Amino acid sequence: MRVLIAPLEELGEISALFWGLVRRFPLAFKNPDLLIQQMMRMGVSSLPLVLVISVFIGAVTAIQAHYQFRSLVPDIYLGTAVCKFVIVESGPVLTALVLAGRVGSAIAAEVGSMKEKEELDAMAVLDLDPLRYLALPRVLGGLLAFPLLVVVSDCVAMLGGWAISRWNFHLTSAGYIHGTRFLFDPYDLWVGLIKSFCFGLVICFMGYYHGMRAGAGARGVGQATMRSVVSSCVLILVLDFFIVYTAY
Amino acid sequence: MNAQTPMIELRKLGKSFGSQTVLRSVDLTAKRGETLVIIGASGGGKSVILKHCIGLMRPDAGEVVVDGTTISSHDFMDVQTIRRRMGMLFQGAALFDSMNAGENIKFAVREHNPEMTEDELDAMAVEKLNQVHLPAEARLKMPSELSGGMKKRVALARAIAMNPEILLYDEPTTGLDPITADVINDLILDMQRELGVTSLVVTHDMVSAYKVANRIAMLHEGRIIFSGTPDEIRATDNPHVRQFINGQRELK
Repeated sequence: MRVLIAPLEELGEISALFWGLVRRFPLAFKNPDLLIQQMMRMGVSSLPLVLVISVFIGAVTAIQAHYQFRSLVPDIYLGTAVCKFVIVESGPVLTALVLAGRVGSAIAAEVGSMKEKEELDAMAVLDLDPLRYLALPRVLGGLLAFPLLVVVSDCVAMLGGWAISRWNFHLTSAGYIHGTRFLFDPYDLWVGLIKSFCFGLVICFMGYYHGMRAGAGARGVGQATMRSVVSSCVLILVLDFFIVYTAY
Repeated sequence: MNAQTPMIELRKLGKSFGSQTVLRSVDLTAKRGETLVIIGASGGGKSVILKHCIGLMRPDAGEVVVDGTTISSHDFMDVQTIRRRMGMLFQGAALFDSMNAGENIKFAVREHNPEMTEDELDAMAVEKLNQVHLPAEARLKMPSELSGGMKKRVALARAIAMNPEILLYDEPTTGLDPITADVINDLILDMQRELGVTSLVVTHDMVSAYKVANRIAMLHEGRIIFSGTPDEIRATDNPHVRQFINGQRELK
């Protein structure tokens, strides 16, 4: 019986926490410094990592497209393949998976460690609402920073795809750009952005949720961190399916 | 409430965690303006009592009454108002790591008093630091740059920032050298003398207990087995109390 009840209890806790956050959304702008601090922490400091992985995402996409095309499709469509795949799929998803490891785990570890050191109790004693001052800046910061990171990732991945097409497959820059613009649909960009928005929410929310539930000691914080990364990664892939299924 | 009303009253307080019963039936009263020290073995539930007093935990049985208001009932929703009348010094200080000492003191005051200017908040932080005998420059230090004793003093400055009527101390001298521990003891006495606060101190440090207490209560196996003045506890023949205050491994 417990096996059946435990997931329902967890779902209830997640829903209550999420609703608590939604109700406090307008309050986030009363402490813009906390929000900006988190956006800087999640966005700007993740930028170097995003830049590096994006170059490789674009490059690998171009190589795979060239291999799949073989001699059936001209290389001039390499830009088309890279653009479509990066904007809709690999840009948001792979960036989110990497950020689940970097940002989600950091939030879980930080909140778990604050719980362990009684800082959350101290907040309650000082009548400071942890949802408002701790969770909201992190979750909203993720919501706002992640789409921006994904836009940067898309642009850099396109450059990675261009570099491989130019030097490996001897495609001219004009040819690559032509391929990129061919079949380009702003709708794809919106789908990618909506994905990144949802993934940002999932990563930061799960980081906070598991941090709050962390058990005692280093082991408890470690497990909370692991659970946040695993649950974020699974949810990212499941959400990705439903968004793609709905959008196309 | 009149001056005779107890500031904190615990009535038949019971609390269990899973199968482990920590508090069986705790009856305890802290009078207005007095310092009540709760002693007892580590892991015996002393900190759990403090967390009930400030509404961080709800009891399984019994009542917590603060200044005539029962805060432990499920229909009591105004725990915030009670908390704003209390301050708590945590065992590990529990300073917010991402903020410097000054911000730690100012944060809650700023949020609850939006009309205060930054200059006023700064002046308040310096005043509170001075009250715990720390210089104004200490406000710029991050918690990681502070020693154990300084952390406790900054945490005490934060606890008194909202001018509380009740101060709860959770193992205030644990982990400190005897000299620094004595500085903290003097501060507890200062707070009672200068601010007139009611204090509840949880400790197993008998030197500290004798120095700061008006009354000492001993928690043993989930019950208060003794309550009296420091002189009365020294004179008691209760074997459990004697074992604890003399630090004996076995009952004599």
